[in-house]
Amino acid sequence: MALRFPTQLVTRGAVHHNHDHAKTTTTTAATGSSLSWRRTLIPDPLVSSTALPRKCHVQWTVKCSASGTSQAMNLAPGTPVRPTSILVVGATGTLGRQIVRRALDEGYDVRCLVRPRPAPADFLRDWGATVVNADLSKLETIPATLVGIHTVIDCATGRPEEPIKTVDWEGKVALIQCAKAMGIQKYIFYSIHNCDKHPEVPLMEIKYCTEKFLQDSGLNHIIIRLCGFMQGLIGQYAVPILEEKSVWGTDAPTRIAYMDTQDIARLTFIGLRNENINGKLLTFAGPRAWTTQEVITLCERLAGQDANVTTVPVYILRLTRQLTRFFEWTNDVADRLAFSEVLTSDTVFSVPMAETYNLLGVDSKDIVTLEMYLQDYFTNILKKLKDLKAQSKQTDIYF
Amino acid sequence: MSAATATSFSNSLNSTPNWRLSPTPNWQPPRRSFLVPQAAGKGGKKPKNRKPISPLSTETESTPATQQQQQVSLSLEDVNPVGLGRKSRQIFDEVWRKFSGLGQISRTTRADDQDTLDALLIREGPMCEFAIPGAQNTTVLVVGATSRIGRLVVRKLMLRGYTVKALVRKADQEVLDMLPRSVEIVIGDVGEPSTLKAAVEGCNKIIYCATARSTITGDLFRVDHQGVCNVTKAFQDYNNKLAQLRAGKSSKSKLLLAKFRSADSLTGWEVRQGTYFQDVVAFKYDAGMDAKFEYTETGEAVFSGYVFTRGGYVELTKKISLPLGYTLDRYEGLVLSVGGNGRSYVLILEAGPSADTAQSIMYFARINTKVGFCRVRVPFSSLRPVKPDDPPLDPFLVHTLTIRFEPRRQVCLFQVLASTCSFVWKKINVLSFKLTLEYIKALPTGQETDFVLVSCTGLGVEPSRREQVLKAKRAGEDSLRRSGLGYTIVRPGPLKEEPGGQRALIFDQGNRISQGISCADVADICVKALHDSTARNKSFDVCYEYVAEQGKELYELVAHLPDKANNYLTPALSVLEKNT
Repeated sequence: MALRFPTQLVTRGAVHHNHDHAKTTTTTAATGSSLSWRRTLIPDPLVSSTALPRKCHVQWTVKCSASGTSQAMNLAPGTPVRPTSILVVGATGTLGRQIVRRALDEGYDVRCLVRPRPAPADFLRDWGATVVNADLSKLETIPATLVGIHTVIDCATGRPEEPIKTVDWEGKVALIQCAKAMGIQKYIFYSIHNCDKHPEVPLMEIKYCTEKFLQDSGLNHIIIRLCGFMQGLIGQYAVPILEEKSVWGTDAPTRIAYMDTQDIARLTFIGLRNENINGKLLTFAGPRAWTTQEVITLCERLAGQDANVTTVPVYILRLTRQLTRFFEWTNDVADRLAFSEVLTSDTVFSVPMAETYNLLGVDSKDIVTLEMYLQDYFTNILKKLKDLKAQSKQTDIYF
Repeated sequence: MSAATATSFSNSLNSTPNWRLSPTPNWQPPRRSFLVPQAAGKGGKKPKNRKPISPLSTETESTPATQQQQQVSLSLEDVNPVGLGRKSRQIFDEVWRKFSGLGQISRTTRADDQDTLDALLIREGPMCEFAIPGAQNTTVLVVGATSRIGRLVVRKLMLRGYTVKALVRKADQEVLDMLPRSVEIVIGDVGEPSTLKAAVEGCNKIIYCATARSTITGDLFRVDHQGVCNVTKAFQDYNNKLAQLRAGKSSKSKLLLAKFRSADSLTGWEVRQGTYFQDVVAFKYDAGMDAKFEYTETGEAVFSGYVFTRGGYVELTKKISLPLGYTLDRYEGLVLSVGGNGRSYVLILEAGPSADTAQSIMYFARINTKVGFCRVRVPFSSLRPVKPDDPPLDPFLVHTLTIRFEPRRQVCLFQVLASTCSFVWKKINVLSFKLTLEYIKALPTGQETDFVLVSCTGLGVEPSRREQVLKAKRAGEDSLRRSGLGYTIVRPGPLKEEPGGQRALIFDQGNRISQGISCADVADICVKALHDSTARNKSFDVCYEYVAEQGKELYELVAHLPDKANNYLTPALSVLEKNT
C-alpha cells in the first residue's frame, strides 16, 4: 500500500486519448454492478454512488449512519473528535512515513492503517503512532479504523505487482464512502500530476476517477497531485552507481520535477490547516524538472565515478507492452508497462509553484533541490564508506 | 589456482569471474554485478537480445586458455543443472525487474534494498531532517511522560533518535499504548525519592513535565515542589556517584576552594578594613569598626563584626591556591554555603597576573543571604568590573577572593525606621553582621542544560487557586536553580491541544505574556533546549504572538516562528537574562 512514486512521469502536453487501448469492460466483482472506472463511463457511477451508494454498500452505509451520518461530531456522548486525530492510509510507503513523522512532530495523534503482515511496521510504533491493522481490499475492515478520526490522509497506492483495481479503486471508493458516512472532517488525497491526460495508464486513470469521486462525494477535501519523489532516485540510480552495478534508464526526453517527500509532508500540513484551501486541487512539483540522463550525470558527478548505464530506448518498452497485450496471460505485464506510453512524449514537465507557495505562505528557498538532496546523500554515504574502509584496514592487520 | 580460486568460482556466477572476456576495453571487474555486457547501454540494441545471458553461454564465449583455468576451478556445484537453472532464473528476474521498472509509474523496492535504504533515509540517517547529531548518545528521562506535553516530548525525542526513559506511576495498558514501544518505562513516583534512583540511572538529561492532577495543596507540594526537588537530588546523586568513580576528576565534580572544617582551615584568610571616603566628616564622626574571623567551639567558622564608620567596610580575603592542573576558566561560577543572617555582602574577585598585584582588576557581585544556612551561586558572568571601562572577568586570571561587608545600603533602609524608634539599638543591628562560612566551591562549567522544567505562568489556572499553584511551582523552580544542575525553566501560557509550528512565539521574562501556546510547541522548545547552550540556566515565559487589534498595539515583542529551516530558539533566548 506504499505510495512509491514515479521516478518517471508524465509530461504536460502529452495527450494520448487512445481509448481503443482501454479495455472494453471492467466490472467489479465486489459490487456486482458495473462499477466501471473507465473514463468514458465515469459520470454515471460517480453520480449514483454519491447520491445512492451501490447495493452492497447500502446496508453498510446505513450501519455507519446509525452512529451519526449527520456530520455531527458528537458521535458518543461527551467525546468530541479531537482535531488533532488523523488517520494515515499507506503509512509505510515512501511518502506515508514522512507524513506520519511530520504529523507526530507537529503534535498530531496519528493512527496508521497498515495491512496485516508478518513483519509489522515497527518503526511507526517506535515513533509514537498507533497502528491499526486493516486492508483496503477487505472492505469490512475499514469502518472501525475511522472511529474518532478527524482527518484522513490517503497516500496509499497498490503495489505494482498486485491487481491494481482492488486497492486503488474499490478500496478507495469504500474508504471515501465510509469517511463520508462517518462524518470525517477532511480528506486529503494524493494523486498523480496530469492523470487526467493519460487515461491509457491504468493507475493514472484510477487516480483521476478517484479525484472525481472525492469531489462529488461532498467531503471536505484537498487533492494534491504529485510529480516524482527524490527518495525514489536513491534506490534507482544512486545506490547502483555506488555499488558499480548497472543502471537502467530510458532515453526518454521526459522531464520530471522531483520533490523531497519531507517537503511534500510539510506543505501538506500547512495546507491541511489552511481553511482557504478546502476543496482545492494543488499540484506539488520540485524546483526543477530533470530527465533521466541528467539525473544519472548528476549522480556520477557527485559520486565521483562513472555509471554503468544500460539505456533502453522507449520504443522497445512500448513494443514490449504492445506485444504483451496480445495474450491474456501477459495482460498484467502490459498494465505494468503502461507508463511507457507516457514516456514516448517529449515535453518538459513542471508546474510553476510560485502561486502554490504563495497560497501556502512558504518560502521557495526552503524547498530542497535535487542537487542539494543528492549532494547530501553522497557526502554522507561516502563518509560512511570511508569509515568502513578505515575499520576494515585496521582489522586487516590481524589477519 | 587452488582452493582459493575454486571457492571463488563457485560464487563466480553471481560475481563476475575475471576470466570472462569483457566487451569493453576499460573493463574493471565489478564486485557484485549480474551478467550483463557492459557495453549494452551504448549499442542501443533490443534488450531482449542481451537479457538472459545464461552462465552456459558465457562459458562458450571464453577462450581456450581460460577454459583451462576454468576446468581447474570447476566444482560439482557449478555443473549442477538445477543450480545453474536457478541462478540463470535469478539473473533473468533481476534484469526483467529492472526492465519492467522503466515502464512503471510506481515502483516496488525489494525488501533487502528497502532495509538498507530505511536505515539511511528513515531511522538514524543524516538524510532525516529530524536527526540531531548529539541525540545518538543521549538518554533522556521524561518525568510525567503521560502528561499532555510529556507525550509529545517523548515522540519528538524518539523521532530525533534519543534514547528515552519514561517515568510513570503505573504501567497499565493504557499507559503502555500511549507511549512508543521502544521507550524504556520506569515505574516510580516523584514524591517518593527512593523510587527515583532507578529512573535517573544512565540518564544524561531530564525533562520534567509532570504537574499535579489537582490544585489541592498536598498534591501541588508533592509534585510541583517536592517532586522537582527529589528528581534533581536523585540526578545530582547519580552525577556525583559518577564523579566519585573518577575520584573527583570528572567534569561534573565541583572544585573545592575552601572548606572551613577545622581551626587550621582559617589560615590564610585575612581580615581587613577600609573606607570609601577619606574626607574630614568621615574622620570626625568615625565611630570605628571591627571584625574578626574565628573558629567557634561549636565547630563553625564565623566572620563577624560591626561597621559604624560612614562609608566603611570590613572584608575577609584570601589568595586562592588551586590544586596543580586546575584553572578556574573551566568553571562557570562559585557556590558558597553560608549562614548570613539576611545581610547582603559583596563578593570581590581580583584578577590579573599574580606576580604583579598592581595590575589587578577588581570585579564584584552582590550576594544576598537568608536567615539560616543557604547556598549562594555566583556565576562568573554576574561579576562586574569596579571600573566600568575594564574588560569583563577572565576566570583564568583570578588570584584573590574577598567577601566584604559594607553597611551602606542597609543603613539607608533602616535610618527611616531608626528616626522613629530607638536610634542606637537599630543602628547596631544594621551595622553589625555575622557570617558563618561552610565552604566555597567552584562550579564546573557545562555547555548544555541538564534539566528542563516545564512550569507555568499562572494564566489559565482558576483564580482562587492561582496563588497556591504558583507558590508550589516557584518553590520547585527555586529548588532546581539551587541544585547546581544546568537548568532551563519553560513557563508556557495556557496550553492548547493543537498542532504546533503554526504561529509565531514570544519568549519573554517578567510575567507579561497573555496568550496561550500549543502543547506541541512547548514540547519542541523542551527538546531544542537540550542541546542549546543559550538555554542553559535560563527561565522564560513563552506564548503565542499577541495579535493586537487595529490601533491597540502597545509594543512589539520580537516573535519567532518555529520552522525546520531556522533554529528559532537560539536567537530568541540569547537576548534573555541568565540565572534569573
